[in-house]
Amino acid sequence: MSPVFVSPFAVTRLEWRRLLVRPLAWVLAALTLAWLAWNFTLLLGNFLAGQIQRAALPDGPGFVDLVAVPLLAQLAQLAFMVVPLITMSVLAGERRNGTLPLLFAAGVPASRIVLGKYLAVLGWLLLWLALTLAMPLALMHATHFDWGKLASATLGLVLMLAALGALGVACSAFASHPAIAAAAALVIALALWGVNLGAQMAGINDGAINWLAMSTHLQSLLRGLVSTTDIVWFVLLIVLALALATQRLVADKERG
Amino acid sequence: MLQLDQLSRRRAGRPAVQNLSLLLQRGQVLGLLGVNGAGKSTTLSMIAGALRPDSGSIQLNGADFLEQPELARQLIGWLPERAPLWPELTVSEHLDAHGHLRGLHGAALKQARTAIIDRLELQPLARRLAGVLSQGQRQRLGLACALLHKPALLVLDEPANALDPVQVAALRTLIREQAAAGTAVILSTHLLTEVTAVCDRVAILHEGTLRQDGVVHSDDHAALERTFFEIAMSGTTHAARAA
Repeated sequence: MSPVFVSPFAVTRLEWRRLLVRPLAWVLAALTLAWLAWNFTLLLGNFLAGQIQRAALPDGPGFVDLVAVPLLAQLAQLAFMVVPLITMSVLAGERRNGTLPLLFAAGVPASRIVLGKYLAVLGWLLLWLALTLAMPLALMHATHFDWGKLASATLGLVLMLAALGALGVACSAFASHPAIAAAAALVIALALWGVNLGAQMAGINDGAINWLAMSTHLQSLLRGLVSTTDIVWFVLLIVLALALATQRLVADKERG
Repeated sequence: MLQLDQLSRRRAGRPAVQNLSLLLQRGQVLGLLGVNGAGKSTTLSMIAGALRPDSGSIQLNGADFLEQPELARQLIGWLPERAPLWPELTVSEHLDAHGHLRGLHGAALKQARTAIIDRLELQPLARRLAGVLSQGQRQRLGLACALLHKPALLVLDEPANALDPVQVAALRTLIREQAAAGTAVILSTHLLTEVTAVCDRVAILHEGTLRQDGVVHSDDHAALERTFFEIAMSGTTHAARAA
Protein backbone atom coordinates (compact mmCIF):
# COMPACT_ATOMS: atom_id res chain seq x y z
CA MET A 1 0.00 0.00 0.00
CA SER A 2 1.40 3.38 -0.98
CA PRO A 3 1.54 5.85 1.90
CA VAL A 4 -0.83 8.81 1.69
CA PHE A 5 0.64 12.29 1.73
CA VAL A 6 -0.18 14.27 4.83
CA SER A 7 0.81 17.91 4.78
CA PRO A 8 3.40 18.72 7.46
CA PHE A 9 1.23 21.77 8.12
CA ALA A 10 -1.98 19.82 8.87
CA VAL A 11 -1.60 20.48 12.63
CA THR A 12 -0.58 24.09 11.96
CA ARG A 13 -3.70 24.62 9.88
CA LEU A 14 -5.90 23.08 12.57
CA GLU A 15 -4.34 25.18 15.33
CA TRP A 16 -4.45 28.34 13.22
CA ARG A 17 -8.16 27.80 12.60
CA ARG A 18 -8.75 27.28 16.33
CA LEU A 19 -6.82 30.48 17.12
CA LEU A 20 -8.80 32.51 14.61
CA VAL A 21 -12.21 31.47 15.91
CA ARG A 22 -11.30 31.86 19.59
CA PRO A 23 -12.61 35.22 20.89
CA LEU A 24 -9.66 35.53 23.27
CA ALA A 25 -7.19 35.94 20.40
CA TRP A 26 -9.29 38.69 18.78
CA VAL A 27 -9.91 40.50 22.06
CA LEU A 28 -6.22 40.42 22.94
CA ALA A 29 -5.24 41.64 19.47
CA ALA A 30 -7.81 44.45 19.53
CA LEU A 31 -6.97 45.66 23.04
CA THR A 32 -3.20 45.54 22.66
CA LEU A 33 -3.19 47.16 19.22
CA ALA A 34 -5.48 49.93 20.48
CA TRP A 35 -3.10 50.49 23.42
CA LEU A 36 -0.07 50.50 21.11
CA ALA A 37 -1.78 52.87 18.66
CA TRP A 38 -2.53 55.28 21.50
CA ASN A 39 1.08 55.13 22.65
CA PHE A 40 2.27 55.58 19.09
CA THR A 41 0.38 58.87 18.84
CA LEU A 42 1.90 60.02 22.16
CA LEU A 43 5.42 59.06 21.05
CA LEU A 44 4.85 60.77 17.72
CA GLY A 45 3.57 63.90 19.44
CA ASN A 46 6.67 64.05 21.63
CA PHE A 47 8.89 63.46 18.61
CA LEU A 48 7.30 66.31 16.68
CA ALA A 49 7.44 68.62 19.70
CA GLY A 50 11.19 68.10 20.09
CA GLN A 51 12.05 68.28 16.41
CA ILE A 52 13.38 71.87 16.47
CA GLN A 53 15.77 71.24 19.41
CA ARG A 54 17.06 68.04 17.79
CA ALA A 55 17.72 69.83 14.51
CA ALA A 56 20.71 71.48 16.22
CA LEU A 57 22.26 68.08 17.02
CA PRO A 58 24.03 66.55 14.01
CA ASP A 59 23.88 62.95 15.35
CA GLY A 60 20.78 63.30 17.48
CA PRO A 61 18.21 60.52 17.87
CA GLY A 62 15.80 60.12 14.98
CA PHE A 63 12.31 58.80 14.37
CA VAL A 64 13.32 55.16 14.80
CA ASP A 65 15.09 55.87 18.15
CA LEU A 66 12.29 57.97 19.59
CA VAL A 67 9.14 56.40 18.14
CA ALA A 68 9.63 53.00 16.48
CA VAL A 69 11.97 51.34 19.00
CA PRO A 70 10.06 52.56 22.11
CA LEU A 71 6.86 51.28 20.48
CA LEU A 72 8.47 47.86 19.93
CA ALA A 73 9.73 47.92 23.53
CA GLN A 74 6.11 48.37 24.65
CA LEU A 75 5.09 45.44 22.49
CA ALA A 76 7.80 43.39 24.22
CA GLN A 77 6.30 44.29 27.62
CA LEU A 78 2.80 43.34 26.47
CA ALA A 79 4.13 40.06 25.09
CA PHE A 80 4.79 38.80 28.62
CA MET A 81 1.01 38.82 29.21
CA VAL A 82 -0.27 38.12 25.70
CA VAL A 83 1.91 35.16 24.68
CA PRO A 84 1.01 32.95 27.69
CA LEU A 85 -2.69 33.64 27.04
CA ILE A 86 -2.35 32.71 23.38
CA THR A 87 -0.32 29.56 24.02
CA MET A 88 -2.02 28.27 27.16
CA SER A 89 -4.58 26.08 25.36
CA VAL A 90 -2.50 24.74 22.50
CA LEU A 91 -1.66 21.46 24.24
CA ALA A 92 -3.25 21.71 27.70
CA GLY A 93 -6.58 22.40 25.95
CA GLU A 94 -6.13 19.35 23.70
CA ARG A 95 -5.46 17.27 26.78
CA ARG A 96 -8.59 18.58 28.51
CA ASN A 97 -10.75 18.03 25.41
CA GLY A 98 -9.35 14.50 25.04
CA THR A 99 -8.36 15.31 21.45
CA LEU A 100 -4.63 14.65 21.82
CA PRO A 101 -5.08 10.87 21.26
CA LEU A 102 -6.86 11.69 17.97
CA LEU A 103 -3.65 13.31 16.73
CA PHE A 104 -1.57 10.35 17.91
CA ALA A 105 -4.00 7.94 16.26
CA ALA A 106 -3.65 9.84 12.97
CA GLY A 107 0.02 8.83 13.01
CA VAL A 108 1.25 12.40 13.62
CA PRO A 109 4.58 12.23 15.51
CA ALA A 110 4.84 14.20 18.76
CA SER A 111 7.53 16.44 17.25
CA ARG A 112 5.20 17.39 14.38
CA ILE A 113 2.31 18.10 16.75
CA VAL A 114 4.52 20.45 18.80
CA LEU A 115 6.08 22.09 15.74
CA GLY A 116 2.70 22.45 14.02
CA LYS A 117 1.15 24.16 16.99
CA TYR A 118 4.22 26.32 17.53
CA LEU A 119 4.14 27.53 13.90
CA ALA A 120 0.47 28.51 14.24
CA VAL A 121 1.20 30.49 17.42
CA LEU A 122 4.26 32.05 15.79
CA GLY A 123 2.15 33.06 12.80
CA TRP A 124 -0.32 34.87 15.07
CA LEU A 125 2.50 36.60 16.98
CA LEU A 126 4.25 37.71 13.79
CA LEU A 127 0.97 39.12 12.48
CA TRP A 128 0.61 41.01 15.75
CA LEU A 129 4.16 42.36 15.35
CA ALA A 130 3.53 43.26 11.70
CA LEU A 131 0.41 45.27 12.59
CA THR A 132 2.39 47.13 15.25
CA LEU A 133 5.25 47.80 12.85
CA ALA A 134 2.77 49.14 10.29
CA MET A 135 2.23 52.20 12.52
CA PRO A 136 5.78 53.65 12.26
CA LEU A 137 6.18 52.30 8.72
CA ALA A 138 3.17 54.33 7.63
CA LEU A 139 5.37 57.41 8.07
CA MET A 140 8.41 56.09 6.19
CA HIS A 141 8.04 58.63 3.39
CA ALA A 142 7.52 61.53 5.78
CA THR A 143 10.64 61.17 7.89
CA HIS A 144 14.21 59.89 7.83
CA PHE A 145 14.34 56.20 8.66
CA ASP A 146 17.32 54.38 10.16
CA TRP A 147 16.51 51.08 8.46
CA GLY A 148 19.41 49.21 10.04
CA LYS A 149 18.35 50.05 13.56
CA LEU A 150 14.70 49.23 12.81
CA ALA A 151 15.70 45.89 11.28
CA SER A 152 17.80 45.04 14.32
CA ALA A 153 14.98 45.94 16.74
CA THR A 154 12.49 43.97 14.63
CA LEU A 155 14.81 40.96 14.65
CA GLY A 156 15.01 41.26 18.42
CA LEU A 157 11.23 41.29 18.73
CA VAL A 158 10.84 38.36 16.32
CA LEU A 159 13.32 36.34 18.37
CA MET A 160 11.73 37.33 21.66
CA LEU A 161 8.21 36.48 20.50
CA ALA A 162 9.47 33.19 19.06
CA ALA A 163 11.18 32.34 22.36
CA LEU A 164 8.16 33.28 24.49
CA GLY A 165 5.92 31.31 22.12
CA ALA A 166 8.11 28.21 22.47
CA LEU A 167 8.17 28.65 26.25
CA GLY A 168 4.37 28.95 26.27
CA VAL A 169 3.94 25.81 24.14
CA ALA A 170 6.27 23.92 26.50
CA CYS A 171 4.32 25.07 29.57
CA SER A 172 1.08 24.08 27.83
CA ALA A 173 2.56 20.62 27.16
CA PHE A 174 3.36 20.11 30.82
CA ALA A 175 0.26 21.66 32.42
CA SER A 176 -3.01 19.84 33.00
CA HIS A 177 -5.03 23.07 32.83
CA PRO A 178 -4.59 26.04 30.45
CA ALA A 179 -4.64 28.57 33.33
CA ILE A 180 -1.74 26.77 34.99
CA ALA A 181 0.12 26.81 31.68
CA ALA A 182 -0.40 30.58 31.34
CA ALA A 183 0.73 31.27 34.90
CA ALA A 184 3.81 29.05 34.52
CA ALA A 185 4.76 30.65 31.20
CA LEU A 186 4.44 34.15 32.70
CA VAL A 187 6.53 33.31 35.77
CA ILE A 188 9.27 31.56 33.79
CA ALA A 189 9.40 34.36 31.21
CA LEU A 190 9.67 37.02 33.92
CA ALA A 191 12.33 34.98 35.71
CA LEU A 192 14.31 34.67 32.47
CA TRP A 193 13.95 38.38 31.84
CA GLY A 194 15.16 39.51 35.24
CA VAL A 195 17.44 36.70 36.36
CA ASN A 196 20.34 39.18 36.47
CA LEU A 197 18.56 41.96 38.37
CA GLY A 198 20.26 41.08 41.66
CA ALA A 199 23.67 40.97 39.99
CA GLN A 200 23.09 44.33 38.32
CA MET A 201 22.03 45.90 41.62
CA ALA A 202 25.28 44.60 43.09
CA GLY A 203 27.14 46.33 40.26
CA ILE A 204 28.00 43.19 38.28
CA ASN A 205 27.34 43.97 34.64
CA ASP A 206 29.22 41.10 33.11
CA GLY A 207 29.43 37.37 33.59
CA ALA A 208 27.31 34.27 33.13
CA ILE A 209 24.29 35.52 35.07
CA ASN A 210 23.89 38.45 32.69
CA TRP A 211 24.26 36.14 29.72
CA LEU A 212 21.37 34.07 31.07
CA ALA A 213 18.98 37.03 31.16
CA MET A 214 16.69 37.66 28.20
CA SER A 215 16.85 41.41 28.82
CA THR A 216 20.59 41.47 28.03
CA HIS A 217 20.04 39.98 24.58
CA LEU A 218 16.93 41.91 23.63
CA GLN A 219 18.27 45.29 24.75
CA SER A 220 21.36 45.06 22.58
CA LEU A 221 19.19 44.19 19.56
CA LEU A 222 16.87 47.12 20.34
CA ARG A 223 19.95 49.38 20.39
CA GLY A 224 20.81 48.21 16.90
CA LEU A 225 23.59 45.81 17.85
CA VAL A 226 23.18 42.43 16.17
CA SER A 227 25.49 39.79 17.56
CA THR A 228 25.59 36.03 17.00
CA THR A 229 25.62 35.46 20.78
CA ASP A 230 22.24 37.10 21.17
CA ILE A 231 20.71 35.19 18.27
CA VAL A 232 22.15 31.90 19.55
CA TRP A 233 20.70 32.57 23.02
CA PHE A 234 17.18 32.91 21.63
CA VAL A 235 17.57 29.93 19.27
CA LEU A 236 18.82 27.76 22.14
CA LEU A 237 15.83 28.71 24.27
CA ILE A 238 13.41 27.92 21.41
CA VAL A 239 15.02 24.55 20.66
CA LEU A 240 15.16 23.59 24.34
CA ALA A 241 11.52 24.54 24.98
CA LEU A 242 10.24 22.69 21.89
CA ALA A 243 12.36 19.63 22.69
CA LEU A 244 10.94 19.52 26.23
CA ALA A 245 7.38 19.87 24.89
CA THR A 246 8.01 17.02 22.43
CA GLN A 247 9.44 14.82 25.18
CA ARG A 248 6.36 15.47 27.28
CA LEU A 249 4.02 14.47 24.44
CA VAL A 250 6.03 11.30 23.80
CA ALA A 251 5.68 10.49 27.49
CA ASP A 252 1.93 11.22 27.28
CA LYS A 253 1.56 8.75 24.44
CA GLU A 254 3.60 6.13 26.31
CA ARG A 255 1.61 6.64 29.50
CA GLY A 256 -1.76 6.77 27.75
CA MET B 1 -6.88 -7.83 8.32
CA LEU B 2 -6.03 -7.33 12.00
CA GLN B 3 -3.93 -9.63 14.11
CA LEU B 4 -3.10 -8.99 17.74
CA ASP B 5 -0.38 -11.17 19.16
CA GLN B 6 0.33 -11.36 22.90
CA LEU B 7 -0.58 -7.72 23.41
CA SER B 8 0.05 -6.42 26.94
CA ARG B 9 -0.17 -3.01 28.54
CA ARG B 10 0.06 -1.77 32.12
CA ARG B 11 -1.85 1.33 33.23
CA ALA B 12 -1.74 3.09 36.59
CA GLY B 13 0.65 0.43 37.90
CA ARG B 14 -1.56 -2.59 37.13
CA PRO B 15 -1.91 -4.79 34.08
CA ALA B 16 -4.77 -3.37 31.99
CA VAL B 17 -4.38 -5.87 29.13
CA GLN B 18 -2.42 -9.11 29.33
CA ASN B 19 -1.28 -11.37 26.49
CA LEU B 20 -4.24 -10.58 24.27
CA SER B 21 -4.29 -12.38 20.93
CA LEU B 22 -7.06 -11.85 18.38
CA LEU B 23 -7.64 -12.22 14.68
CA LEU B 24 -10.17 -10.18 12.71
CA GLN B 25 -11.02 -10.72 9.04
CA ARG B 26 -12.32 -8.23 6.48
CA GLY B 27 -16.07 -7.73 6.75
CA GLN B 28 -16.25 -9.16 10.26
CA VAL B 29 -17.86 -7.32 13.17
CA LEU B 30 -16.25 -8.20 16.49
CA GLY B 31 -17.90 -7.18 19.74
CA LEU B 32 -15.55 -6.59 22.64
CA LEU B 33 -17.53 -7.24 25.80
CA GLY B 34 -16.51 -6.68 29.38
CA VAL B 35 -17.41 -4.97 32.61
CA ASN B 36 -15.99 -1.52 33.37
CA GLY B 37 -12.21 -1.71 33.75
CA ALA B 38 -11.95 -4.97 31.82
CA GLY B 39 -9.41 -3.43 29.40
CA LYS B 40 -11.68 -2.75 26.43
CA SER B 41 -10.78 0.93 25.93
CA THR B 42 -7.07 0.24 26.48
CA THR B 43 -7.21 -2.49 23.82
CA LEU B 44 -9.00 -0.22 21.35
CA SER B 45 -6.61 2.69 22.03
CA MET B 46 -3.69 0.40 21.19
CA ILE B 47 -5.36 -0.83 18.01
CA ALA B 48 -6.15 2.77 17.01
CA GLY B 49 -2.52 3.79 17.48
CA ALA B 50 -3.15 6.22 20.33
CA LEU B 51 -1.42 4.07 22.94
CA ARG B 52 1.73 2.01 22.60
CA PRO B 53 1.63 -1.54 23.96
CA ASP B 54 4.28 -2.63 26.47
CA SER B 55 4.75 -5.87 24.55
CA GLY B 56 3.22 -7.88 21.75
CA SER B 57 2.53 -6.97 18.16
CA ILE B 58 -0.28 -5.57 16.02
CA GLN B 59 -0.38 -6.58 12.36
CA LEU B 60 -2.54 -4.67 9.92
CA ASN B 61 -2.86 -6.20 6.46
CA GLY B 62 0.31 -8.13 7.23
CA ALA B 63 2.37 -5.05 8.15
CA ASP B 64 3.69 -4.34 11.63
CA PHE B 65 1.61 -1.44 12.78
CA LEU B 66 3.97 -0.53 15.64
CA GLU B 67 6.85 -0.16 13.16
CA GLN B 68 4.71 1.84 10.71
CA PRO B 69 2.35 4.02 12.76
CA GLU B 70 1.36 5.93 9.61
CA LEU B 71 -0.65 2.82 8.64
CA ALA B 72 -3.21 3.88 11.24
CA ARG B 73 -3.74 7.10 9.32
CA GLN B 74 -4.79 5.23 6.21
CA LEU B 75 -6.41 2.08 7.48
CA ILE B 76 -8.10 2.86 10.78
CA GLY B 77 -11.09 4.97 11.72
CA TRP B 78 -11.45 5.43 15.47
CA LEU B 79 -14.32 6.70 17.56
CA PRO B 80 -13.04 7.00 21.13
CA GLU B 81 -15.39 6.89 24.11
CA ARG B 82 -17.34 10.19 24.49
CA ALA B 83 -16.25 11.42 21.03
CA PRO B 84 -13.58 14.06 21.83
CA LEU B 85 -14.04 17.22 19.73
CA TRP B 86 -12.62 20.72 19.39
CA PRO B 87 -15.45 22.85 20.83
CA GLU B 88 -14.53 25.98 18.84
CA LEU B 89 -14.73 24.28 15.42
CA THR B 90 -17.88 23.62 13.43
CA VAL B 91 -19.03 20.19 12.30
CA SER B 92 -17.78 20.90 8.80
CA GLU B 93 -14.40 22.14 10.07
CA HIS B 94 -14.02 18.98 12.12
CA LEU B 95 -14.43 16.86 9.03
CA ASP B 96 -11.90 19.02 7.16
CA ALA B 97 -9.40 18.75 10.03
CA HIS B 98 -9.76 14.98 10.21
CA GLY B 99 -9.49 14.77 6.43
CA HIS B 100 -6.22 16.75 6.41
CA LEU B 101 -4.82 14.59 9.21
CA ARG B 102 -5.71 11.46 7.23
CA GLY B 103 -4.19 12.72 4.00
CA LEU B 104 -7.35 13.86 2.19
CA HIS B 105 -7.13 17.11 0.23
CA GLY B 106 -9.00 19.20 -2.31
CA ALA B 107 -11.73 17.54 -4.34
CA ALA B 108 -11.27 14.15 -2.62
CA LEU B 109 -11.83 15.74 0.77
CA LYS B 110 -14.85 17.70 -0.43
CA GLN B 111 -16.39 14.58 -1.92
CA ALA B 112 -15.74 12.50 1.22
CA ARG B 113 -17.13 15.26 3.45
CA THR B 114 -20.31 15.63 1.41
CA ALA B 115 -20.84 11.87 1.34
CA ILE B 116 -20.46 11.39 5.07
CA ILE B 117 -22.57 14.45 5.92
CA ASP B 118 -25.35 13.02 3.72
CA ARG B 119 -24.99 9.49 5.09
CA LEU B 120 -25.13 10.56 8.76
CA GLU B 121 -27.70 13.30 8.13
CA LEU B 122 -25.47 16.03 9.49
CA GLN B 123 -26.53 18.74 6.99
CA PRO B 124 -28.53 20.78 9.54
CA LEU B 125 -25.54 20.74 11.90
CA ALA B 126 -22.79 21.41 9.36
CA ARG B 127 -22.19 25.03 10.43
CA ARG B 128 -22.85 24.48 14.12
CA LEU B 129 -20.00 24.62 16.67
CA ALA B 130 -19.11 21.27 18.20
CA GLY B 131 -19.19 22.85 21.65
CA VAL B 132 -22.98 23.33 21.47
CA LEU B 133 -23.89 19.88 20.12
CA SER B 134 -25.91 17.44 22.21
CA GLN B 135 -24.19 14.25 23.33
CA GLY B 136 -25.94 12.23 20.62
CA GLN B 137 -24.95 14.76 17.94
CA ARG B 138 -21.35 14.70 19.19
CA GLN B 139 -21.37 10.93 18.88
CA ARG B 140 -22.63 11.16 15.29
CA LEU B 141 -19.94 13.71 14.42
CA GLY B 142 -17.29 11.47 16.00
CA LEU B 143 -18.56 8.61 13.88
CA ALA B 144 -18.48 10.79 10.76
CA CYS B 145 -14.84 11.72 11.49
CA ALA B 146 -13.97 8.03 11.93
CA LEU B 147 -15.61 7.05 8.63
CA LEU B 148 -14.51 10.03 6.53
CA HIS B 149 -11.45 8.43 4.92
CA LYS B 150 -13.19 5.07 4.28
CA PRO B 151 -11.04 3.06 6.69
CA ALA B 152 -10.44 -0.66 6.27
CA LEU B 153 -10.78 -1.13 10.03
CA LEU B 154 -13.34 0.72 12.11
CA VAL B 155 -12.67 0.90 15.85
CA LEU B 156 -15.67 2.01 17.89
CA ASP B 157 -15.54 2.50 21.64
CA GLU B 158 -19.05 2.42 23.14
CA PRO B 159 -20.57 3.88 19.93
CA ALA B 160 -24.17 3.65 21.16
CA ASN B 161 -23.47 5.90 24.16
CA ALA B 162 -26.00 8.76 24.40
CA LEU B 163 -27.84 7.75 21.22
CA ASP B 164 -31.62 7.51 21.26
CA PRO B 165 -33.30 4.26 20.11
CA VAL B 166 -33.79 5.56 16.57
CA GLN B 167 -30.14 6.56 16.34
CA VAL B 168 -29.06 3.21 17.80
CA ALA B 169 -31.01 1.42 15.05
CA ALA B 170 -29.39 3.69 12.44
CA LEU B 171 -25.95 2.97 13.93
CA ARG B 172 -26.55 -0.78 13.69
CA THR B 173 -27.56 -0.42 10.03
CA LEU B 174 -24.44 1.64 9.37
CA ILE B 175 -22.17 -0.94 11.02
CA ARG B 176 -23.71 -3.76 8.98
CA GLU B 177 -23.36 -1.65 5.82
CA GLN B 178 -19.68 -1.09 6.54
CA ALA B 179 -19.12 -4.78 7.16
CA ALA B 180 -20.94 -5.68 3.93
CA ALA B 181 -18.57 -3.31 2.10
CA GLY B 182 -15.60 -5.25 3.48
CA THR B 183 -14.68 -3.07 6.44
CA ALA B 184 -13.61 -4.92 9.56
CA VAL B 185 -15.34 -3.49 12.61
CA ILE B 186 -14.37 -3.86 16.23
CA LEU B 187 -16.68 -2.32 18.80
CA SER B 188 -16.57 -2.32 22.55
CA THR B 189 -19.70 -2.30 24.62
CA HIS B 190 -21.11 -3.56 27.87
CA LEU B 191 -24.56 -4.01 26.28
CA LEU B 192 -25.19 -7.62 25.36
CA THR B 193 -28.07 -6.63 23.07
CA GLU B 194 -25.65 -4.54 21.02
CA VAL B 195 -23.47 -7.58 20.44
CA THR B 196 -26.27 -9.94 19.44
CA ALA B 197 -27.75 -7.27 17.16
CA VAL B 198 -24.70 -6.43 15.04
CA CYS B 199 -21.70 -8.65 15.78
CA ASP B 200 -20.54 -11.81 14.04
CA ARG B 201 -18.10 -12.62 16.82
CA VAL B 202 -17.72 -11.75 20.45
CA ALA B 203 -14.61 -11.52 22.59
CA ILE B 204 -15.12 -11.22 26.32
CA LEU B 205 -12.39 -9.45 28.25
CA HIS B 206 -12.12 -9.68 31.99
CA GLU B 207 -9.39 -8.19 34.16
CA GLY B 208 -7.33 -7.55 31.05
CA THR B 209 -7.37 -11.10 29.70
CA LEU B 210 -9.38 -12.68 26.92
CA ARG B 211 -11.79 -15.16 28.48
CA GLN B 212 -13.99 -16.02 25.51
CA ASP B 213 -13.78 -15.64 21.74
CA GLY B 214 -16.57 -17.14 19.69
CA VAL B 215 -19.27 -16.76 17.07
CA VAL B 216 -22.42 -14.83 17.97
CA HIS B 217 -25.84 -16.30 17.22
CA SER B 218 -28.44 -13.55 17.15
CA ASP B 219 -31.13 -15.86 18.58
CA ASP B 220 -28.95 -17.01 21.47
CA HIS B 221 -28.97 -13.97 23.70
CA ALA B 222 -29.57 -16.04 26.84
CA ALA B 223 -26.48 -18.19 26.27
CA LEU B 224 -24.29 -15.11 25.74
CA GLU B 225 -25.70 -13.52 28.89
CA ARG B 226 -25.01 -16.69 30.89
CA THR B 227 -21.42 -16.87 29.64
CA PHE B 228 -20.82 -13.19 30.28
CA PHE B 229 -22.10 -13.33 33.86
CA GLU B 230 -20.17 -16.53 34.60
CA ILE B 231 -16.96 -14.81 33.49
CA ALA B 232 -17.74 -11.57 35.29
CA MET B 233 -18.70 -13.34 38.54
CA SER B 234 -15.74 -15.73 38.41
CA GLY B 235 -13.42 -12.74 38.42
CA THR B 236 -15.28 -11.23 41.35
CA THR B 237 -15.06 -14.51 43.27
CA HIS B 238 -11.31 -14.71 42.61
CA ALA B 239 -10.87 -11.14 43.79
CA ALA B 240 -12.95 -11.79 46.90
CA ARG B 241 -10.92 -14.93 47.69
CA ALA B 242 -7.66 -13.05 47.19
CA ALA B 243 -8.87 -10.33 49.55
